[in-house]
Amino acid sequence: MVHISDGILATWLWGSGWVITAAILAYTLKKMKIDDIPKLSVITAAVFVASLIHFQVGPTSVHMVLSGFAGVTLGILAYPCIFIALVMQTFLFQHGGVTTIGINTVNMGVPALISFLIFKAGMKLNIGISKNEMFFGAIAGGIAVALAVLLLAVELLITGEELTEVTTFVVFAHIPVILVEAIFTGVIAGFLAIVKPEMLSIKK
Amino acid sequence: MISEIDIYAGLSSPIHRWDPRLKVISILTLIFSIMLLYDLKLVIASMLFAIILVYISRIPFSFIAGRLKWVFLFVLPFLIILPFTVIGEGVEIAHIGSITLNFRGIESVEFAVMIVIKALTSVMLIFPMIGTSRMDVTIKALEDLHLPNKLVQMLAFTYRYIFVLSDEFMLMERSLTSRGFKRRSNLYTIITLSKAIATLFVMSFEQAERVFYAMRSKGYKGKVTTMHEFTLRPQDWFNAVVVCGFAIFIHVAVLYGTLEGI
Repeated sequence: MVHISDGILATWLWGSGWVITAAILAYTLKKMKIDDIPKLSVITAAVFVASLIHFQVGPTSVHMVLSGFAGVTLGILAYPCIFIALVMQTFLFQHGGVTTIGINTVNMGVPALISFLIFKAGMKLNIGISKNEMFFGAIAGGIAVALAVLLLAVELLITGEELTEVTTFVVFAHIPVILVEAIFTGVIAGFLAIVKPEMLSIKK
Repeated sequence: MISEIDIYAGLSSPIHRWDPRLKVISILTLIFSIMLLYDLKLVIASMLFAIILVYISRIPFSFIAGRLKWVFLFVLPFLIILPFTVIGEGVEIAHIGSITLNFRGIESVEFAVMIVIKALTSVMLIFPMIGTSRMDVTIKALEDLHLPNKLVQMLAFTYRYIFVLSDEFMLMERSLTSRGFKRRSNLYTIITLSKAIATLFVMSFEQAERVFYAMRSKGYKGKVTTMHEFTLRPQDWFNAVVVCGFAIFIHVAVLYGTLEGI
């Protein structure tokens, strides 16, 4: 549900979404090396497939977002990853909208970048617990979704006062997702730190 | 689990024969044009135009309906919740405890209906746009349209890995089930699935790297190579003029309508 459909948001909002996305994409693609492609593609495909994994939470069903996971494993390349995942979701799975790909990438990608910074800062901090990666992975994963929902809520409210009730509904439906993603990203970060550390964005 | 979008690419129709480059650009123009439209009658007209395009493309409606379901589930809350309010202005219709439910009036119903129709129309147009060419041909068309090469490569690789990963995930789930695992709403389920998915990542990552280096050692330089050559015929331009013409027409109609209103 974090990917908003066509025709809801105000035009200038999704328009500026494209501008921001184009700018960040141009920067991150410049930083990207050709050798990054296999890793990027696997994680992007994972972010896509994750949206097919549904959890039954109360009366509604929610699905994984994995933007925090992308941040933890890909660093700043999480942005193009989420862009491609959203393009795929729109065109192959009809999740989300065409004109809103830009703003949806901002909603999920910017929190992913922030969660990467949190993870990086957390690993440097080294607070002296044995499962550092797991702890900060969980924080990064939770914050990535929380911020995405926050951005979406703000956009809906800016678009119109008549969307207040819908916004409340969307925010509450996502509280379980935030928890699930936090646990998920934490477990994966802890697992990868032991099994395949080179898949994490942080060099030890 | 997920069927490929291009399973009907083998059919034959004017849309299938349309040059993929012009097809992608024209239909994208149309989608953006419809999204900029705020007039219920013209939005409905656009939906009919989209249905005609789908009909010409001969992609079965049942295939599309299955996909439209997801979009509809997303926009459904808007249809149900939007016309009513508990804090704003409106006509009182019910009291539930201390909460007063207000109806915002017929305009808000029209607005909600417009949101739903726009969302469904844009998704419907995706099918004639990329469902009528093989995916590798579409990706080559995107490259010809000078999309950044790194993005094109990511699209091509990711598209392949989606099916690999979802197949492997199903295998993994089956093996979990055969060991007595059930998905429940508890911590154990989440942690078990997370670890299973983490293993899947490590496996896929290693496989992806091997494939990529094998491709490079055989001379892959990042260019999409297919046997398909693009040629532009007058018919391609005619189709583009019809679709883009409609995209422009709906906005001219709005302009003309407002002038007439004054």
